[in-house]
Amino acid sequence: MSARRRRYRQLTRGLLLSLHLLAAHRLRTSLSVSGLLAGVAAVIVMVAIGEGAERRVLERVQGMGANLLVVSAAPAQRVAGRPRQVPVYTMLRAADAAAIEQESALAVAAAPAVNGSMVVRWEGVNTTTIVTGMTSVGLRIRNIAPASGRAFDDEDDRERRRVALIGPTVVRTLFGGADPVGRVLRIRNVPFEVIGVARARGVDPVGVDLDDLVVLPFETATRRLLNIPYVHTLFVQARSTSELIGLEREVREILHGRHAGRSGLLDVFVIQNQATLLRTERGAARAMNQLVVSVALLALLAGGIGILAVMLISVRERTREIGLRRALGAKRRDIQIQFVLESAMLAAGGGLAGVVVGLAVAAGAAMFGPWDLVISWHAAGLGLACSTILGLVVGAIPAARAARLEPIAALRAE
Amino acid sequence: MIEAEALTRVYVRGTLETQVLKGVTFRVRQGEFVAIMGRSGSGKSTLLNILGLLDRPDGGRYVLDGVDFSGADDDARSAARNRKLGFVFQQFHLLERASALRNVTLPLLYAEEDSGDATRRAERALEAVGLAHRARHLPSELSGGEQQRVAIARALINDPAVILADEPTGNLDAQSGGEILEIFRRLVGAGRTLVLVTHDRAVAERADRILLLDDGRVAGEEAVLSPAAGAHSRAAGPV
Repeated sequence: MSARRRRYRQLTRGLLLSLHLLAAHRLRTSLSVSGLLAGVAAVIVMVAIGEGAERRVLERVQGMGANLLVVSAAPAQRVAGRPRQVPVYTMLRAADAAAIEQESALAVAAAPAVNGSMVVRWEGVNTTTIVTGMTSVGLRIRNIAPASGRAFDDEDDRERRRVALIGPTVVRTLFGGADPVGRVLRIRNVPFEVIGVARARGVDPVGVDLDDLVVLPFETATRRLLNIPYVHTLFVQARSTSELIGLEREVREILHGRHAGRSGLLDVFVIQNQATLLRTERGAARAMNQLVVSVALLALLAGGIGILAVMLISVRERTREIGLRRALGAKRRDIQIQFVLESAMLAAGGGLAGVVVGLAVAAGAAMFGPWDLVISWHAAGLGLACSTILGLVVGAIPAARAARLEPIAALRAE
Repeated sequence: MIEAEALTRVYVRGTLETQVLKGVTFRVRQGEFVAIMGRSGSGKSTLLNILGLLDRPDGGRYVLDGVDFSGADDDARSAARNRKLGFVFQQFHLLERASALRNVTLPLLYAEEDSGDATRRAERALEAVGLAHRARHLPSELSGGEQQRVAIARALINDPAVILADEPTGNLDAQSGGEILEIFRRLVGAGRTLVLVTHDRAVAERADRILLLDDGRVAGEEAVLSPAAGAHSRAAGPV
């Protein structure tokens, strides 16, 4: 048998003995392992929370509709140094949407919208909700689709039919969850037939319920309900996210050309760019994520220091064992390897337990709690690798100390 | 087998120097059983540690099995401890949480030749000291005599040239101590070399030869006529 295979077998046997001795010293071992366990579990749970938050931001922004510009008819005014929107501005017209669709090369679609907070009534039950009027194009680019019943079409719009698509929250508050399709509700005393229920979109992180709305055909809303000549919002869709910046520039130019002469003001509208929004919100989520992960990594480091402490104590406690092993022929190097590997095994064990606990906590929280968690195998692997490397590094100090001991002094130690 | 020439050892503690060995010279032939006897502080344990390559002499020459270890480095000394020497200590020095069998295999972890089937070898070594049936027991489940027999099995597993025993019966009752010495006699009968340190004359008289140590010097030597029975005759004068 080659010397290398012999060394390998001896190392394996030595590791088995180390494992056996570590297992026999239950309290010492679990103490040294628990710090890393907590650290790794913290990393995994924190990363799961962070990635969950990031995914939610992404979903919410994309839930608005894909590749969207939102033009609001209100100038950004600075009040006490902060941009503020003045609620009602009467400058934007439905024709602006048509003009953008025609003149802009980057715009795939554009749609006007009006909205207001109104009381909606059905058989003596009242609720206040957001009433929005938009075209069928608007429904498409805003990603509003019926879960049951149907959505209104261009004909409903042209004919100014009194039909409504309502959000799931309104179904709950007004109809107590019963199927509302075919029933007639009243908005400002004008009767509307419910023709469909919109797909649920959830609550955004600020707490705005995206399902608490009633959508009417654009013409119906402006002519029969609001009686206004202007619109509140224009939605403009680009082919892709990368073209949003260019589209924003084009839309700005088109609107300036159409309105500058009349109002004398240049920027009498605000354009929200989904790409910018996404970037900012994602940036915020990322920053939060990084903070959270660095805290978790600190916990991991504390766990490593825990192992260091226990290993140092262990060297002192096991001085006689070291002396004995030296007397029986262990070289300094053998002792050093033994202690480094023991430390690495402890750390890997703690890391592995931490992965199990962390994944279990994250999965449990995602299943039973109100949190949106994304389990990251990436973080699990990273936590495990970090803890093992930490174990190797941290084990070097007590290992060197153990190897330095003179055999006779070690053997005689009390 | 063992050649010690003018070995000296000085312990320094602060500014205080204590000369523990003041030039010790003696030889041990192969297959001989030698007891080193002296009062506590006579330097006998220090001498045994030097013979066991656990400690280095400050002066003199030490040859073990034909190899001069006076200037050997730590690795060479470690390798020799593993291959040529077997230790039996007063406090047994067993790993508390490991079975008798695991304790006996411990030296094989550091052997430089292939040790074959470690478990089989350990079982055979335990058999040789009459403990085959206790192989799976922890030291705490064994009597003192049995623990020392496990230690002897551990000393035997690498088939060493010399066995060094430091007060091996010091922590045992008379009967267990007698059994240990019985095993030693058997090992010597089978051709092993054995050096034993003791302060107890009754123990020393089980050896072939007694080396008397006093204040770091060899004070005399006695040949034991009938070691098995414990009778002896005094040889004349210092060496």
